[in-house]
Amino acid sequence: MKILIIEDEKALAESMATYLSAEQYFCEFAETFDDAMYKAETFHYDCILLDLMLPGGDGMKILEALKADNKEDGVIIISAKGALEDKIRGLQIGADDYLSKPFHLPELAARIHSLIRRKSFGNNNLFRQNELTIDLLAKTVTVNDAKVVLTKKEYELLLYFISNKNRVVSKTALAEHLSGDVAGILDNYDFLYAHIKNLKKKLTEAGADNYLKTIYGTGYKWQS
Amino acid sequence: MIKLLNRPLKVFTLYALVILACSIPVYYFIAEYIWLSELDEHNRTVSGQLKESLLSQSPTDSLLEQNIAFWNKLQPVSDLKFVPTVKPDSIYTSLRKNKYIDEEEEKDRFRGLVSYVSIRDKNLQVTVESNVEETHETIIAITIITILFFILLFTGFVFLNRRISAGLWKPFYNTLDTVKAFELNKQEEVQFSQTNIIEFAELNASLEKLISKDIAVFREQKEFTENASHELQTPLAIIQSKLDLLMQSELSSEQSRLIEDTEKALGRISRINRNLLLLAKIGNNQFASTETIDLNALIEEQAGMLSDHLFTKKIILERDPEEVVEVNANRILVESMISNLLTNSIRHTASDGQIFIKLSSQSLMVINSGTTPLEKEKMFKRFSSLSSGVQGTGLGLSIVQQICRRYSWEVTYEFENGHHQFTVVF
Repeated sequence: MKILIIEDEKALAESMATYLSAEQYFCEFAETFDDAMYKAETFHYDCILLDLMLPGGDGMKILEALKADNKEDGVIIISAKGALEDKIRGLQIGADDYLSKPFHLPELAARIHSLIRRKSFGNNNLFRQNELTIDLLAKTVTVNDAKVVLTKKEYELLLYFISNKNRVVSKTALAEHLSGDVAGILDNYDFLYAHIKNLKKKLTEAGADNYLKTIYGTGYKWQS
Repeated sequence: MIKLLNRPLKVFTLYALVILACSIPVYYFIAEYIWLSELDEHNRTVSGQLKESLLSQSPTDSLLEQNIAFWNKLQPVSDLKFVPTVKPDSIYTSLRKNKYIDEEEEKDRFRGLVSYVSIRDKNLQVTVESNVEETHETIIAITIITILFFILLFTGFVFLNRRISAGLWKPFYNTLDTVKAFELNKQEEVQFSQTNIIEFAELNASLEKLISKDIAVFREQKEFTENASHELQTPLAIIQSKLDLLMQSELSSEQSRLIEDTEKALGRISRINRNLLLLAKIGNNQFASTETIDLNALIEEQAGMLSDHLFTKKIILERDPEEVVEVNANRILVESMISNLLTNSIRHTASDGQIFIKLSSQSLMVINSGTTPLEKEKMFKRFSSLSSGVQGTGLGLSIVQQICRRYSWEVTYEFENGHHQFTVVF
């Protein structure tokens, strides 16, 4: 999988690449508008992470050029402005997703995972790990061919974990994924513990191994 | 506090009062002086005529005595009598009862002239008297007239003052109304009405300058907040990403705890920054687009997103979704308002508490159980409600207020029967 990171902040671009490389994503960088435009128009990427404010031009123009060329690359806008107008315009022009800074790297990984999955319908909608199978299209989970019924939130958590497998995901990232800012404002993660406990219980009772490890003090890690 | 024009009115009235009061004795003394000198003249005339007549009509002593007796009988006001020696003329004033005017209990005042005349080695004393107005009667008459004039003067002052006030000060009141209606938040330049009075024109010009400067400074400050928040987003994103990476290494429990605390604080900064940005954007009149929003549906949606938190705190949320209530506003803003109100009430409700949402076409009420009233004045101010250890941004209610202000809604807080009560009146 090839990803183009269009971001003029080197430190941030490197963090993203480091985190994503664990998932066998191959990352390329573009720091200026011209460089980004050249790479986006010349090569094919599974996903382009697009910062809107670039030295030399407006990132939105790159998106417009991609759409004008009918290129199929998935695009996630990453913006510091957080302006709703940008989000709406970006999605209208044809971006697949929008993430405002600051964000958790696991959230980015989950968005990319979801985007690539959507883009490659048909051939890649099953996730398998030993006895566990997730049908990403039908949104069903089976363990040893027996169906496990999960709530919406438990399923969302499971997807989040498998898109960040073998990496530690903090509970704040998880809580924000499930309920946005509210979790932090209320400073209460009990609901998260409850959902994770239920998810673990349902999977192990169905006969799956315990892949979800609790990392003391920081969060959780899905092992594959 | 008194009106500007009432101040000279007061002074003028007092001045008029003092002058008129001083005029009372002056008038009195003048009147008295004129009166008395006129009477003295009169007495002298009468006395002279009397003496002359007596001399011409009394050729013999017996006839003289007869005339004197006759005169004294007929004219009790004057008196003729023989005296041993002639003295210089003298004037007297006396008070006594006047038997001819019996309805009056009081004594009357008389002015008399005592003069002498010698008729054939006999000395005759001639006394002539006239009735004079009494002192107190003169004073009372003058005082009454003065008071009447004072009343006339005062009503005149008040009337003229009104006329002048209405006409002369009209441009001033126009300016005042314009300034009163001015709101810095709206960022609209003011237009004062034209005036041909130099002072008011100067006042208007200075105010216009002051206000446009204020508007510019305020705009600059708001833009600064927005830009500053933007600029902070990228470094925050870098810190967050580095922390996420740091978490992947083998960590001791001490290190994990450090990271956890750092991440919490970072989360808080990010939220505050996002909310500041939102506030600045509302202030800068962004989110201009509006649509018709079904409030029941929106509350349902927001409450659904919070269901996890309601469940963990065992809070019961009650609603009465009978009526269809729609408002015309920006969806993002209304969402934000409701989410902030709900989050706020969840935060301040103890476990096993209750939250009621009452929605009508006039108002939205969010009521939750509580123990002590919150500080009304401070609660909508930025960062004012933040106490240490609370993870809120201190901006939630400011955002609610700002959004309400945008749509001319009114948000109020009451504490009644152990319930916090937030009301948004549409």
